[in-house]
Amino acid sequence: MALLEVENMSIGYNTKKGYLKAVEGVSFTLEEGASLGFVGESGCGKTTIGMALMGLLPPNGSVREGRILFEGKNTLRMSDEEIRKIRWRKMAMIFQAAMNALNPVQRVGNQIAEAILVHNPSVGKEEAMGQVEALFELVGIPRDRLRDYPHQYSGGMKQRAVIAMALACHPKLIIADEPTTALDVIVQSQILGEIKDLQKEFNLSIIFISHDISIVADMCKDICVMYAGQLVEFGPREEVFESPSHPYTKALLSSFPTVTGKKSDLIPIPGETPNLVIPPAGCRFCDRCSGPGPSCQAEAPEWVEIGPGHKTLCCRC
Amino acid sequence: MVSKQNNNIKRSERYPWLISFLEGWSIFRQNLLGKIGLVLLIIFALMALCSYIPPWINPMYNPMTGVDPEITSCTPPSLRHWLGTDFMGRDILSQLLAGARIAFMVGISAAVMSVVLGVSIGMTAGYMGRFVDTLLMRLADMIMVMPTLLVVLLLSAVFGQLSIWTIVLIIALFRWPGVSRIIRGQTLSLKQRPFIEAAKVAGASHFRIIFVHIMPNVLPLAFLFMTFRVTSAIITEAALAFLGFGDPGTVSWGMMLQWVWKTGHMFQAPYWLLPPGICISLITLSFYMLGRAMDEVLDPRLRREDQTD
Amino acid sequence: MHKRDESVLEIRDVSKIYKTRGAFFGSSGKDVTALYRISLDIFKGEIFGLVGESGSGKTTMGRLIVGLEDVNSGEIVLDGREIVGLRGRAQKEFRRKVQMIFQDPYQSLNPQRSIYDTVSEPLKIHGIGDASTRKDLVRETLKSVGLSPPDDFFFKYPHRLSGGQRQRVAIARAMILNPEFVISDEPTSMLDASISAQIFNILLELRNKLGVTQLFITHSLAAARYLCDRVAVIYRGNLMEVGPAEEVIRNPKHPYTQALLDAVPKFGHDRDAKRYGTLLAKDRDVEEDAGCVFFPRCAAAHEDRCGRKQPGLSQLGDGHFVACFRLEAMHEA
Repeated sequence: MALLEVENMSIGYNTKKGYLKAVEGVSFTLEEGASLGFVGESGCGKTTIGMALMGLLPPNGSVREGRILFEGKNTLRMSDEEIRKIRWRKMAMIFQAAMNALNPVQRVGNQIAEAILVHNPSVGKEEAMGQVEALFELVGIPRDRLRDYPHQYSGGMKQRAVIAMALACHPKLIIADEPTTALDVIVQSQILGEIKDLQKEFNLSIIFISHDISIVADMCKDICVMYAGQLVEFGPREEVFESPSHPYTKALLSSFPTVTGKKSDLIPIPGETPNLVIPPAGCRFCDRCSGPGPSCQAEAPEWVEIGPGHKTLCCRC
Repeated sequence: MVSKQNNNIKRSERYPWLISFLEGWSIFRQNLLGKIGLVLLIIFALMALCSYIPPWINPMYNPMTGVDPEITSCTPPSLRHWLGTDFMGRDILSQLLAGARIAFMVGISAAVMSVVLGVSIGMTAGYMGRFVDTLLMRLADMIMVMPTLLVVLLLSAVFGQLSIWTIVLIIALFRWPGVSRIIRGQTLSLKQRPFIEAAKVAGASHFRIIFVHIMPNVLPLAFLFMTFRVTSAIITEAALAFLGFGDPGTVSWGMMLQWVWKTGHMFQAPYWLLPPGICISLITLSFYMLGRAMDEVLDPRLRREDQTD
Repeated sequence: MHKRDESVLEIRDVSKIYKTRGAFFGSSGKDVTALYRISLDIFKGEIFGLVGESGSGKTTMGRLIVGLEDVNSGEIVLDGREIVGLRGRAQKEFRRKVQMIFQDPYQSLNPQRSIYDTVSEPLKIHGIGDASTRKDLVRETLKSVGLSPPDDFFFKYPHRLSGGQRQRVAIARAMILNPEFVISDEPTSMLDASISAQIFNILLELRNKLGVTQLFITHSLAAARYLCDRVAVIYRGNLMEVGPAEEVIRNPKHPYTQALLDAVPKFGHDRDAKRYGTLLAKDRDVEEDAGCVFFPRCAAAHEDRCGRKQPGLSQLGDGHFVACFRLEAMHEA
């Protein structure tokens, strides 16, 4: 049985401008110890998916249809109490603005110890502190920084502390939403390396969300490319990265400058992402696509199998 | 047809203040306190407008000088005098209506003056910084800790009776520091914003930066403060009048209360005591409620709900 | 693309030190050196990249050049004229020549002003043209940054635009005076990749069509490689490496540049790209600050030399400069 199975999930937000269909018909599965990356631009719904998995959608958002099966149980049917029990203990999240997730007036070590105590009341205070020390060692924070306050930490250290907090209750699944976006490249590569090592060590399942396809490819074996609330391409990273089939994936790849290989012109994607209050009837990428077919405007595309485990949502492929 | 529609869209885009006003109004409409406050204020405004009617019907309804020739003492409500008369036989209703006019006049003019003063001083201090800032803010501190009422009492003791406009001026002079502190803070944070720096890089003068870029961004806050300042101005004037330091030539609600008290009718004539008392409470309350509702409209945190991902 | 001999902007020995105020009255805080004795020449018609991490002083450099801040020492010369401390008419004249594009398009446009107001403002300030010629100029400029039809944008307000459109407006505002020199400070760090590529291409076009010399400030080596003719790598206020962009990025010589390149995720580009491994896993403890700024993190450092003295820039090849003792040693050997 897969650790996480998401079937045909659709999520929407009530906004002043109308009902915003942030995510439409997304399905994927995640095995234990596997890593799955979500890549897409802002507003594509990738963060919303992470929030929905954690049961942390804002009050104006809700899962309209579909199922989220975590260890075979539908988390959408669970009561708040049940969800709270699996949150942090079984699945944890590393947020986008992780720096702000730490309480500025509490010592970092104490904050993590407290998280352990809340979720595991049988542990004593001493023992919790011992666990925190072990966690700090794991994520590479020197032991003597345990009693520091968050403002004494650098950005990278704060991110490490947040990772330690996510690991505190030994979850099976970690959802990392742009965990390194605010960091410098060197710190970013150190932290990504850290996450990779931890994944191997604890056989963690990871859902990694980022706008940067090269980071996602670096971190995850499978990649989901999202556009305007839909999954548009799914497959092993080698396939998606080296022989992308969806026009959006292709365009996305050719709009990133690189430091290696031949210097080639960047081809920006023209136009803007569609309005998700009234999404287009046919293919959502149609207006920005380099070679749309005659039926793309009107007909919604179907999934096409391209290779083993490699699928794309495009009628031209 | 299509082009006409296009035209309409463009026109509404041309007047963004209209859009933001309508947006603000839709938030405001959901606020019960704000609605109550607004309704009350409309009633008071109607009262103020109606204050011209009684003296026009019959000179004996003149709130200050009109005396019912048949009455020489305080009388309870009757058909002739709906709210009764005061000790001299003057009509209480027409006094009450005139009081509404005075309350608006005092409240709004004092508030406008103190806010104009506070905004200009706050913006100057925030924008200039350094010693100008220190100087102005110390001055603000000094005035802020001075008890307004006491100073007015002293002034009136020295200069005799003060006219209503002098009182308004004094209230304005003593009420700007709070506004200027807030506006200064806002200016300080705006000054750091990249769009101000972009204007500087384009070569904009200080004058242009202050009036074209900073002022439009602090004005909404200034308007909010205006409503709170109205409240405090009305209360201050009423207190002064009640204590006997008001302008003897005007009929304000505080003045009416003073007459009640001075002629010993405090507990004898509830029809004379209650109307001005209730009116003072209600008008200050309604301006306050309006201010709170506007606060909510202007609070940017409440506008972020539609941002996702 | 550019002529070597014609430098538009010369930065001579520029230092900038921020004095932080102490927590209490009278106690003076620490001095933070944002830039330490930087010298650079930027040639006519080139895009020069300034690459560094946060806190490297790259943004400060841009602010010093446009005069949003003053240097502590050194001089900045534009077209042969010293620009530090310009006032009055001379300053206004300078403002016409040098413009800036800011990082955050959500912050750099006044929310209360329409696009037309924003883009035409520099014209008004400098008293250029009458109402109708201004309108034509704004129209033309908006079109040149890809906002068309331009009239549709005239009366729109920033909150109605997407991030990419806003940044185009900011570029239009910078370009409307036809400046000689434009500084863009991480103009795409708030934007999505596909939109960033649009902005990059607009900047390239400005150079290719109008010959605008540019300073492009970025944290991304990849973006610098794509856009720039030459780049300078800066670390904690010190220049580490300067040279032709392709040369510096494909063949970096400074251990810090090498560490930056190591850190770029490379999946799929170069499977067996070599790693330089110049970054220490754990920072060295350093007692005094006398040495190279990268010494505490440098795996390639000589304990005795790099920790005691700061290396100066030394020339390696054609226009390729590196501030590292290791290379000096290589040269000698």
